[in-house]
Amino acid sequence: MTALRNVAIVGFAQLPIVARDEHRMATEMLYPVVRQALADCGVERDDIDYQIAGSTDYMDGRPFGFVAALEVMGSWPPRQDLHLEMDGAFCAYYAWVRMQAGDCDTALVVGHGKTSEGEPNRILNLSLDPYYQAAIGLDPTSTAALQASAYMARTGATDRDLATMAARNRSAGARNPDNQVRQPATTEELLHTPWAVEPLRQGYLPPIGESATCMILAAEGKAEKMCNRPVWIHGTDHRTELQTLGARDLSRSAGATLAAQKAFAMAGLQRAADADVVELTAATPAEELILCEALGIDPKASRPALNPSGGALCGNPVMSSGLIRLGEIFRQLSGRAGERAVAKARCGIAHAAQGHCLQQNLVWVLGTERRWS
Amino acid sequence: MNEPPKEPVKYVDASVRLPYHYVAGDHRASYLRALKDKKLLGSKCSKTGKVFVPPVICSPESFAPADRLIEVKDRGTVTTFCIVNIPVIGRDLPLPYVAASVALDGADISIFALIQECAPEHVHMGMRVEAVWKPDGERQGDHEDILYFRPTGEPDAPRASYINRL
Repeated sequence: MTALRNVAIVGFAQLPIVARDEHRMATEMLYPVVRQALADCGVERDDIDYQIAGSTDYMDGRPFGFVAALEVMGSWPPRQDLHLEMDGAFCAYYAWVRMQAGDCDTALVVGHGKTSEGEPNRILNLSLDPYYQAAIGLDPTSTAALQASAYMARTGATDRDLATMAARNRSAGARNPDNQVRQPATTEELLHTPWAVEPLRQGYLPPIGESATCMILAAEGKAEKMCNRPVWIHGTDHRTELQTLGARDLSRSAGATLAAQKAFAMAGLQRAADADVVELTAATPAEELILCEALGIDPKASRPALNPSGGALCGNPVMSSGLIRLGEIFRQLSGRAGERAVAKARCGIAHAAQGHCLQQNLVWVLGTERRWS
Repeated sequence: MNEPPKEPVKYVDASVRLPYHYVAGDHRASYLRALKDKKLLGSKCSKTGKVFVPPVICSPESFAPADRLIEVKDRGTVTTFCIVNIPVIGRDLPLPYVAASVALDGADISIFALIQECAPEHVHMGMRVEAVWKPDGERQGDHEDILYFRPTGEPDAPRASYINRL
C-alpha cells in the first residue's frame, strides 16, 4: 500500500438530536456547533483552509439553501468551499481526498438540515426514479421493509432477531446524552410495537429528528497542535450502488462489502474483529444485520463493541447521522465518550450510508496512532 | 402482447407538492412581531458594533455573535435601485416601478424596498425615504406590513454616509 498523508479528526461537536427545534433555523442551530468545534481545537476560522457542508435543498425547502450556511461557517475572508447533497460523513471523505491532493491542511465539515420543516417521506420518495418507483409511493420505510424482507428470506432471520438488535441499540443509547431516544427498551417490548411497514415494527425505526454537526480534520503537523489526542484516518472507501432497487440484491450490501474490503486493506486491518469499536449508520435492525455481514462483524461477539452510542436507531438526523457515527469513533478513541466509553479503544470503524436500501456506503478505519510513517 | 403498443405513452405527469412549515427562529420571531408595532429591529455585532437588519445570530463578516436586538429607524437612504419594466409573478404593480436597496438609519446593511409616490426617473442614490406602513389593526407581523417607501423630501444623504452600506 502506497503511503498516504496522515490526516486526523481533531474536533467534533453536535447538538443533541431533537424532534423539532422550535427556536432556531438550521443555520442558527449550526452556528454554535461550528464555534464549539473551533474552540475545542483552540483555533480561529482563519486557521481553516477548506470547508464543506452536507445538507439538502429539498429538506431546506429552498433552492440553494446551503448558501445560508456560509454565513455561520466563518467563511470570511473568502475561502474554498464545497457543498454536497449528502450526509456530512461524505463531506469528510471529500475533505480527506482534498488533503491527499495536498492543497489544504485543515478542513471544517458540517452537516445540517431541519427535517421537521418539511415532510421527509415525500421528499425522499423523490430520490427514487420518477417512472416506476417514486410513482407508486415508495418511501424510505417501505423500501427498508423490502430490504428487510429480502434479508429475512435469505437468512432465516426472524422478527425476534430484529427486535433483539433494536433492543441492544436502545439499551446502549440510554447512555448517550445526545440521543433523541434515551429510554431503553427490551426485546419483548419492541416485539409488541405495531407494524410500521411489515416486517418492520415501529419500535425498530428511529423517529424523525434534527441536529447540526461539525467536524474538523487536520493533516499531520497541524493535527497534533489542534488536539491532545488526534484520531488518525487509517483507511476509507466509498461505494455507490444502482438506483433501481430491483437491479440489486437487496438482501446484501455489495457496496458496503466492497467499501469495507478496500478501507480495511488501506488500513492494514485484517478483519473487523481486530477493531475495538464500530459505529454503523443503520436506520433499521435489518440494515444493521446486513451491514454486520458486509463488514464481517459478528453481532454476538464482544469485539468490536457494536454501536455503543445507540446507533442511528436512537437518533437519525438527516445529513448528520453518518457524521455522528464518525464523530462517535473520534470520541471513543480520544477519551471523549463519557459513560459509553469502550475501555482501551485504539482502533475503530465508522460507517455511513445514504439513499434507499443502503445505496451509498462509506467505511472508515481509524486509530490512535498514525498509519504511515 | 408480443408487440409494443402502437401508441406509446410519451409523457408521465408527476405533480410534486412539498409543503413546509418553517421555524422563524427566536431572533426573527422578535423582528416579525415588532413589525406589528411599526418597529424595525436589527441585531448588533458584539465585536464590531455593526447592525444587521433583518437580525442575524452572527456577523457573517466578523463571525462574532450578534445576539443583541436594537431598534433602527423606519427611514433611510436609497443606496442602489433598478426600474422594473417587466411583470413579476406575485407582484401586481403598475409598470414601471422601482425596487431599491434602502439603508435604514442605524443599520449597516440595506434591505430591499419598493419605492412609490415618486416617478421612477426621479429615484436616485442618496435619496431619503421613509416607510409607509399598513394601517393599525391590519399588520400581520410579516414583510407586507411595510407597503412601500416614499421620499421624505429631505436633502440627499452624502455619498460617504451610505457607500459602504449598499
